[in-house]
Amino acid sequence: MSLMDKMLALDQRIIFALMFIALAFPILSPVILPMNIQQYSRDSFEFADSIPSGSVVLIEGGLGAATYPQGGPGLEVQIVHLLSKDIKLVFFSIGTETAAWTVTAIDNALAKLPSGVAAENGVNWVHMGYVPGGESGVAAFANDIRSVKTEDHFGTPIGQIPLMSDINKASDFAALFWWGGSEGSIPFGIRQIVTPFGVPMTGMCTTNEVPNYTPYINSGQMIGIIGGVRGSAEYEYLMGMPGLALGQAMATNFGGLLWALLVVLGNVLYFVARREGGAK
Amino acid sequence: MDSFLLGLIAGSFVSIGAYSVLIGDNPLSKFTENLYMGILGGFIFATNWNYVRTSAINPVLQGNYIFVVAVILCVMLFSRLKIEWLWLSRYPVAVTVGAGLGLAIRTSVMADFLGQINATVLPLNNINNLVMIVGTVTAAAYFIFTAQMEGPYKYVNQTGRIFLLAAFGVTYGQTVSFRFELVIGRLVDMLRPEVALYTYAMLLLVALGLGYGYYTKKIKWYSGR
Repeated sequence: MSLMDKMLALDQRIIFALMFIALAFPILSPVILPMNIQQYSRDSFEFADSIPSGSVVLIEGGLGAATYPQGGPGLEVQIVHLLSKDIKLVFFSIGTETAAWTVTAIDNALAKLPSGVAAENGVNWVHMGYVPGGESGVAAFANDIRSVKTEDHFGTPIGQIPLMSDINKASDFAALFWWGGSEGSIPFGIRQIVTPFGVPMTGMCTTNEVPNYTPYINSGQMIGIIGGVRGSAEYEYLMGMPGLALGQAMATNFGGLLWALLVVLGNVLYFVARREGGAK
Repeated sequence: MDSFLLGLIAGSFVSIGAYSVLIGDNPLSKFTENLYMGILGGFIFATNWNYVRTSAINPVLQGNYIFVVAVILCVMLFSRLKIEWLWLSRYPVAVTVGAGLGLAIRTSVMADFLGQINATVLPLNNINNLVMIVGTVTAAAYFIFTAQMEGPYKYVNQTGRIFLLAAFGVTYGQTVSFRFELVIGRLVDMLRPEVALYTYAMLLLVALGLGYGYYTKKIKWYSGR
């Protein structure tokens, strides 16, 4: 068997091992490659930055165990960003697991807050917790929060939460930040909150879902989108708070380079073999 | 050892177990899959039960009897556990699907049709707009299956196919990148300085265990490429 035949019949486990090394190496020995900020991420950041102090905004926390490493760092930085501007935050989640991870994001963000920034639970932020029912749940929550939730995630009755005293429907919010992860739920926000109530929205989704939602940006229904770990890294960069996402984005670059190399190599070998009458 | 570190070590172990499926189906990968399903199933049940308790049962106990309907519908869902009563569970499912569909359709026309059509009505004053208009029209025209592939339509169809292939390529690339990010997310925790040693030790143990299993043919060797 020639070297070319061996390469074309390469055991995929060797590729897995090479990919593991390519992804692990930048984590063990951090390398920072040059990075451009995507317009969608810049738009998301600038939109958050333009919200007036004292406003109340709604945040859907849809990151789970698998997607938190990608979106979590970005969500944490956005929480810091908004709280630093004295913007009040109301969180909710449409998943059971994601409601718990939203608490992690809030805790991590509070730990990063500069001293002197007010961040009292119930006053500056509140986590309304899990809202079941998917899109129907979002619609009910948007129309009448008290019909869906009687207490927040930590069991405090809604009547005892100062931040919620004048808030009961989607039109009470100045903006919506939909951190959907891989829930595929961004259209829920557009259909049930943006379209009927006219609340401006930015989104976050995993990298693979970005092409699905860019049409909503082109149509003006969504202002920007933070795509995967790169979007989070860009938010960190724009905030001047480099963190976990930036390191992960570099590891993605290394994996991407190896993957592109393998795709090119595989195609070249395939066409050479076909010319020689080998491959079919 | 604090609970956070213990969680990281446990996470590292089950991640290695889950990834071991890459070298072939084996008892460790099966164990981690079942462990995950069990824990997640229990967590989802407990969270949803808590929601039903606070949002439906408590209001009923406080005299708000309209929520009795919700509780009855909720109980009816469990009737599918007994085959003779399965038909009862179709009613709450029908209510859920009907309500969801109605709510989604209510604004879909604006959000998913008119909004998207408006977005393609653009002035032809730059290359981006031109690409957007040509791409939208030709890609939509590609799905006209009743037209003959001849005359000008043939070129419209071929152009649409090129745009669709480009879109599929972008989606494929993004999907590959997403998979990298999933692995990297785990690796970041598994290779933390305080956990890395445990990770390497577990990798070694798993490799030895699987190697022994494959060598003694107690585990079937993966036959794929």
